[in-house]
Amino acid sequence: MVVNVYEYGDRHQRSFLKCLLKTGMILLFALFLVSQAKADPVGYSQTAIVKTITGTVIDENGSPVAGAAVTVNNNQTGVLTAADGTFTIDANEGDDLVVSHVSYFTERVRVGAGNRITITLRLNINNLEQVVITGYTEYSKGKSPSAATQISAADINKVPMSSMEQILQGRVPGMSVISSSGQPGQGAAVVIRGIGSVNGSSSPLYIMDGIPIESGYFQTINPEDIETVTVLKDASAKALYGSRGSNGVIVITTKKGKKGKLMVGYSSQYGFSTLTQPGFEMMNTRERFRFEEEIGLETGRDIGPGWRFSPKNPNYAAQSAQWQQNADRILDSLGQINTDWRDLFFQNGSFMEQQINLSAGNENIQTYNALGLWKEQGIVKETGLDRYSLRSNTNFNYGKFTAGVNLNLGFSTSRFTYNEGGTGVGSPMASVYYALPYEYPYTPDGVFHATDDGMGFYDTREGSRGIDVLYGTSDKTEQFKTILGLDMAYEIVKGLKISTRAGMDLRNSTDQVFINPLSYIGSRQSGGKGSFGEGFRRNLNLVSTSGITYKKRAGIHDFEVSGFFEYLYNNYRAFSYRGYGLDDRLPETPASITVSSDFLPALSGSRSNSAMLSYIGTGRYTLLNKYSFTASYRYDGASLSSVPLKNRWHGFYSVGASWNVKEEGFLKAVDFVSVLRLRTSYGQTASPFGSSFTYLPTYSANTTYNGQQAIRPSNIGNPDFDWEYVDEFNAGMDLSLFDTERIQLVVDVYNKITRNMFIDQPLSATAGAGSGGTTPLSSAKMANKGIEFSLSGDLVQNQHFNWNIGANAGYNQNKILRVSDVTDELPDGDTRIIKVGLPYGTYYAPLWAGVDPENGDALYYNRDGSVTNVYNAEQQSVPLSASLYPKLTGGITTAIRWRNLTLNTLFSFVSGVQRWNNIDFYNENQGYMTSNQSKRMLYDRWKKPGDNAILQRIDIPRNFTSKDIQEASFMRLRNLKLNYSIPATLLQSTKILRSADIFIQGQNLYTWTSWRGLDPENNRQYGRFEYPNARKYTAGINLNF
Amino acid sequence: MYLKKIFILLSFGGLLLQSCSKLDTPPSDFIDPSKAFRNIEDMDLGVKGAYAPLSSTLIEAVAIVSDEAMLPTENTVSNTSAHRWLYNSSSGSVTSAFYEYYVVIDRANRVLEAVPGIPVTPATQSRLNQYQGEMLALRAFCHFELLRAYASSYEPGGMGIPYMKEHQLGYPPRPTVQANFDDIDTDLRAAKDLVPSGFGDNTHITKTAISAIQARVALYAKKWSDAITYASEVIDSEPLAPKNDFPKIWKDESESEVVWKLGRVIGDSRIGAAFFRETGEIVLYAPSFKLINTFGTTAQRDDDVRFSSYIQYAPTRPAGKSQYLVEKYVGGNTSYRGLADIKLFRTGEMYLIRAEAELENNSGNAGVTAAAKDLNDLRRARIFNYIDQSFSDKPTLLTAIYNERFKELAFEGHRFFDLKRRNLPVERTTQDAVNTSGAVKLEPTAAQYCFPISADEMAINKNMVQNPNY
Repeated sequence: MVVNVYEYGDRHQRSFLKCLLKTGMILLFALFLVSQAKADPVGYSQTAIVKTITGTVIDENGSPVAGAAVTVNNNQTGVLTAADGTFTIDANEGDDLVVSHVSYFTERVRVGAGNRITITLRLNINNLEQVVITGYTEYSKGKSPSAATQISAADINKVPMSSMEQILQGRVPGMSVISSSGQPGQGAAVVIRGIGSVNGSSSPLYIMDGIPIESGYFQTINPEDIETVTVLKDASAKALYGSRGSNGVIVITTKKGKKGKLMVGYSSQYGFSTLTQPGFEMMNTRERFRFEEEIGLETGRDIGPGWRFSPKNPNYAAQSAQWQQNADRILDSLGQINTDWRDLFFQNGSFMEQQINLSAGNENIQTYNALGLWKEQGIVKETGLDRYSLRSNTNFNYGKFTAGVNLNLGFSTSRFTYNEGGTGVGSPMASVYYALPYEYPYTPDGVFHATDDGMGFYDTREGSRGIDVLYGTSDKTEQFKTILGLDMAYEIVKGLKISTRAGMDLRNSTDQVFINPLSYIGSRQSGGKGSFGEGFRRNLNLVSTSGITYKKRAGIHDFEVSGFFEYLYNNYRAFSYRGYGLDDRLPETPASITVSSDFLPALSGSRSNSAMLSYIGTGRYTLLNKYSFTASYRYDGASLSSVPLKNRWHGFYSVGASWNVKEEGFLKAVDFVSVLRLRTSYGQTASPFGSSFTYLPTYSANTTYNGQQAIRPSNIGNPDFDWEYVDEFNAGMDLSLFDTERIQLVVDVYNKITRNMFIDQPLSATAGAGSGGTTPLSSAKMANKGIEFSLSGDLVQNQHFNWNIGANAGYNQNKILRVSDVTDELPDGDTRIIKVGLPYGTYYAPLWAGVDPENGDALYYNRDGSVTNVYNAEQQSVPLSASLYPKLTGGITTAIRWRNLTLNTLFSFVSGVQRWNNIDFYNENQGYMTSNQSKRMLYDRWKKPGDNAILQRIDIPRNFTSKDIQEASFMRLRNLKLNYSIPATLLQSTKILRSADIFIQGQNLYTWTSWRGLDPENNRQYGRFEYPNARKYTAGINLNF
Repeated sequence: MYLKKIFILLSFGGLLLQSCSKLDTPPSDFIDPSKAFRNIEDMDLGVKGAYAPLSSTLIEAVAIVSDEAMLPTENTVSNTSAHRWLYNSSSGSVTSAFYEYYVVIDRANRVLEAVPGIPVTPATQSRLNQYQGEMLALRAFCHFELLRAYASSYEPGGMGIPYMKEHQLGYPPRPTVQANFDDIDTDLRAAKDLVPSGFGDNTHITKTAISAIQARVALYAKKWSDAITYASEVIDSEPLAPKNDFPKIWKDESESEVVWKLGRVIGDSRIGAAFFRETGEIVLYAPSFKLINTFGTTAQRDDDVRFSSYIQYAPTRPAGKSQYLVEKYVGGNTSYRGLADIKLFRTGEMYLIRAEAELENNSGNAGVTAAAKDLNDLRRARIFNYIDQSFSDKPTLLTAIYNERFKELAFEGHRFFDLKRRNLPVERTTQDAVNTSGAVKLEPTAAQYCFPISADEMAINKNMVQNPNY
């Protein structure tokens, strides 16, 4: 088997085809094997013949499992598998081989006629002996008080989503993952155990192989390289990260090489994505004409040809017969056009992923290397993501000395749509809905008209303006990311180990916006000849951690203590320019820019630095293997850019205890209960600072008057600015029933209080900070308390058929406990309020009282409960029992395995969340009715006395009220995957293939929601012309050689 | 064991190399407050920074809510509720100026507070005085603009606006209009003594500009003799533009009679964008037919240099689109349509202020004669073949002065406040009100007759009182 390594550059088109061809051949080959399987069924015989079985034990990914115990009929004697997963054992035909391993579920396989056998083990995620990886310590689960959830490669790999955090949606109880856009490669807002900060960061800390990496930039990291993701939720684990840990820590471990011969894995999948249906519909041409006519009849306003040329228009009768004839002709010919603008802006996007990995190792050195290629088109035309990634991990193991080098190189190109979410005419995502159905961008001669061009169109050209922008602009970001880590450890004497680690996370982003001088929008640029801009952003994080660990077990005592010293450094620099006066023969290059006083380019840039020094101590003591106690202390010093000097140093701590009840005498003999553990912890952490020098009342140089240099005050500042502390209590229980841990339950309850919380106290206009001007206070207090559980069980458990169902959920209750010395409430943006006693994210709006059936007036509730037709936001706004942040999130999984066929399903759900549906404001607003409107404006509008209408009389202005805050709960069939593993017995004959799988899957197949906008899943405060998440279908293969 | 030694050396060496100095990262992109105003040069930067946020927001708001502009059918793109008098405390179009002027005031106050700490030499003393005077006058001007827009009335007992005499994070209440007028007067008098007469940059506040501000303030305060005095000071120092120069003023090719303007260069926001959107070539607001008709017959329009300078007639625009456009702010650079300096004070206005003040200040014929002379002098400077008119009585002449203000100061941010000054309703013609869904007349009793205080301010500042009926 020849392995194709992708070539880049000008040859990549050819290499892509080659690759396609190869995949096809492999598929054919696999199909051939399947047909072989049917032709030659394996028979069973009951005759006892002692023979030697040679087998291989692999995991669900086809990687060999070393150290698994293989016994015959559960006898005391048995063998252990070698590094390559192979074993040899004597058994009789009809005997059961029992294969067990600490990290996997025990598997029983009947010995058949053959001498060779391959056994696949399923990972036991909640296994007793599993370790909780925190980045500083690795305590076994039985001795750790931590509330942590681990997700394994099986749930992460092959999912057709390019950003790792999006894959975690619905997998971790208490962790909400809400995407920011359907743009390929876009990240998601990840919130663990409720939002813990108003103005600080609410994003968890991400640690990859011990190196902190930036959140929100995962598009260059290949999820295929991930072995496990551990989500640390409680203080006992988070406090190790001190001032950065309060939002939870996500610890990512990548795949490592294993001892044994060279192994090659290849996987490939192809697919496509499609647009989902929104909860509203726009008018078609017939409806639009009727609408225009009705508006004319009701108000006399001319909003389009449907009224202008209508025979019902009084003006019609007054005109000449020729005019009337012409008017009829115009309406008739416009009526022939019925454009569904979605067809012009959206597409079915193609998808392709290729991945190859090589791993090998001996006693001393093990290595894992992988190359990935990802090409995805978005559902919006001209958008997409291409990714090239390399992962190289090498471990050294020379007795007392161990070391590892982990490298991730990634390069991605994202193509965006210009001004997504914008409401201006010409924003492509808004034009889809603004455009009139009787508009078409091209005249019959095929010429494109972005504006009227003197042609006398009867439409607004709003759709065509969007088309002009769609093709006349390009918006791209190239990202180059390097994550490099080196760690070394040396065991001085038994149990005493010193270690050091150095790492770097470097990202270079290049943003490019090109506006073609030939396009209409190009002619509207400064100087009228297009524009070209580039931005360069570089973010560098360095980490250095050194420490010492002592571990000892003496009789009934077992303890471990560690001390670390850590230095973190961040450097960010940005630079951007925009030039004008382009030559259309030189597209997408700065060489095209003219620099003169007529074409004045713009320049900007910034720099920032921050650093942190930390001393960390942590320890664990376990008595009788039952009672464990942990404690940690971290002393963090932040750089001047974060806090005033007087608040620089602060200590963070945690204490925890766990009781392994199963080890107690009274439970040891109870077979029914296989695991029972009780855990509790308490500690203090902090959340990181959002920006630099917020506390300092600074001045900036970036202002001018009449073209001359000037300075202006920038920050208001606050000399008492301090850290934001989070105190968290956690109590939990792990329970597994039956000897195969057939039913597993994990329950945790927590109470998390954020003190000294950053609040931007709005200022009176007279303070001179401008509209929205604020001063940063560290004065607020907020609580998040909740309960989370995960329950999974095998409904059916036998050799050929296994059916597992799992559910996990987290319920979080948020409450503001304090705002500041001077106030108990603050406006939070335009639509929300921060108020003591209410959850953060509570909406604040006048209550909508419906439409008066008598006269069609819009009605609002006054605060005293009376109803009025006068709108007054200031006097009528009340806090709504609706909040931007979800109360309940979770997922439901089922896995059905029948022989070699498995069907995996993931449903994810988000409940108790309301969002501001701002799209209605544009699509159902008489102020914008010259643009197209939703069908409700035609059918559900008040027209005559007695109408019980949803929408008010057409001349009544539309105001922001409680009806704009809509339920955004949803349940989504997130992933459905059908996998066929070609039987190992068949593969053995090929000599080279160790495992082969064929699969098909669908992503976001169906969404249950009452949300009226485009996509209920979006982390923006409003839904408005955003890029909706796509539905995806893919098919692929996964081979291991 | 060499490996062990190297390793220990490495890890502990690394540990020792770290030090606390690594945490002392100074601001790289911000100016430390202690270094903001070190010397006279820094003061110059601060002064310019104070002028920088002044914008045309109020000029635009006045045009949109008054009868000088009309909403053409082609404007399907902007929020038109302000034009239809549907604004309330949440409408940014009329509330944003409240924030903008306080930004300028705060910056001026910060510069003023830095004055005592600036080392001066006899050579730089006059510059420092000038900066101090400019900032005092700018502070007074901004408060006056706020007063014009947000006072509950212009009567002495009306609710004024908080007068900020220092940089302060507070929650001030509303003093009376009279208190505002007193503070404005004090600041302007102090400023006038400080700004040297030799300083003549009309993008800054000069001594003449202070007289002009004083004249306008006196008009609103109904201090007629002060208004005459200050207006005369301006007229004496800055004569009216010759007819040939008048159109050039609006192309920024002539500084004639421009007492104070806000300089605008490429890259700055364009005042013309409020009336015409280049993208899509949409007339957002057109000159009202009421205004156009005030200029009289076609022949009379041709004689008046103001008509073609202010209003463009474009009969070739497609059917259904506005045939009239606001020409005043098209500017002189065709590549940057709408980019023009914002003229805040011109001598023309001073003639009209003096005329009105004379009419009110003198009883009987003396006032009428003096006022009529100023009005005729102004018209003669604007209209070819003009024949002086005589006026028989005060009300006729007052109407004539008001009509002249309507024409002369069109789109310069006066009309709405001029009507408010005399408690007159805003009235649109039927022709102008085709797209206003019935917004034809705004009575002085309506809430919208005063701009509302922003809802945000109401929520934050518990001492603030909203204007009546909102």
